[in-house]
Amino acid sequence: MLTIDELERYDRQIMIANIGKEGQEKLKRARVFIAGTGGLGSPLAIYLTAAGVGKICVVDHDRVELSNLNRQILHWDEDVGKKKAASATEKLKKINHEVKIEAIEETITDTNVFQLIADFDVIVDAMDNLPTRYLLNKAAIEKNIPFFHGAVYGFEGRAMTILPGKTACLRCVYRGDIPKEKFPVIGVTPAVIGCIQATEVIKYIVGIGELLKNRLLIYDGLDMKFTEFKVKKDPQCEYCGHVRKG
Amino acid sequence: MSIEVSIHQALRHLTNGQAMVKVNGNTVGQCLNDLVNQFPGIKPKVFDKKGKLLNYVDIYVNLESSYPEELAMSVKDGDRLHITLIIAGG
Repeated sequence: MLTIDELERYDRQIMIANIGKEGQEKLKRARVFIAGTGGLGSPLAIYLTAAGVGKICVVDHDRVELSNLNRQILHWDEDVGKKKAASATEKLKKINHEVKIEAIEETITDTNVFQLIADFDVIVDAMDNLPTRYLLNKAAIEKNIPFFHGAVYGFEGRAMTILPGKTACLRCVYRGDIPKEKFPVIGVTPAVIGCIQATEVIKYIVGIGELLKNRLLIYDGLDMKFTEFKVKKDPQCEYCGHVRKG
Repeated sequence: MSIEVSIHQALRHLTNGQAMVKVNGNTVGQCLNDLVNQFPGIKPKVFDKKGKLLNYVDIYVNLESSYPEELAMSVKDGDRLHITLIIAGG
């Protein structure tokens, strides 16, 4: 049930026919796990908080560095040296006190991943490396939790929505690996992709629109083009090949 | 047989800045070989030393993944290839 304050706060989005009060209540009940509070995690956490998702958990083990500030807009000059999870939580609570924000200052590993994601309806990928993405993708499939992928490099970004057993997973699409590296990026790129991921999460929770299912969306900011590639669930996929959901 | 290859931003310095290159071939592999003949600098960015696609390179034909056929996949006149590279920044 929405309070009087919530009805006023979310008035403009409740006006969207596809959302309405019912959709807003679904958002209020939703629990979202955001892996990373960097370039992607900042905009998507801000917009999911503003939209009134009931509970958001941000996980990040890093501390804020000066070189993060060109893109990681949840972290400010005064936060350099602070833990990112705490810095993010402080801002998110100020954006919307109605949302329950939880911060976890841990590295996501194969030993804690299942415990971390256990109580969430949605997992959002805002990581900065492939191995952790693969780990989250695998855990999402095993626990049947939708996984919202995003990645950036320079002016390029990509996004894809994974529904375990129903769609291609990250491993169906990416078979290779690249080492964790210092990558070039300008803040507007994760802003675009993080907002696309947040849009996908909102649509999924409310149950509206067409998700990026089996569709890898690649954004080229230099040419200002969005290109959509069809991808398929790989029956031989080591992660999801055995999983079938109706 | 004329196929268009869309060149990833990160590889365009190897194609004199061209975003699109016309190539000939009946398979993805032949098309990429023609691309390499035109722009030899692209070879180590797409193929390993044994001539296999690097594992962070994906080829799409008419916006659909060429996996698992990849280099053996047939192409026809007017088809368009995209070379994409896995990215992992966040």
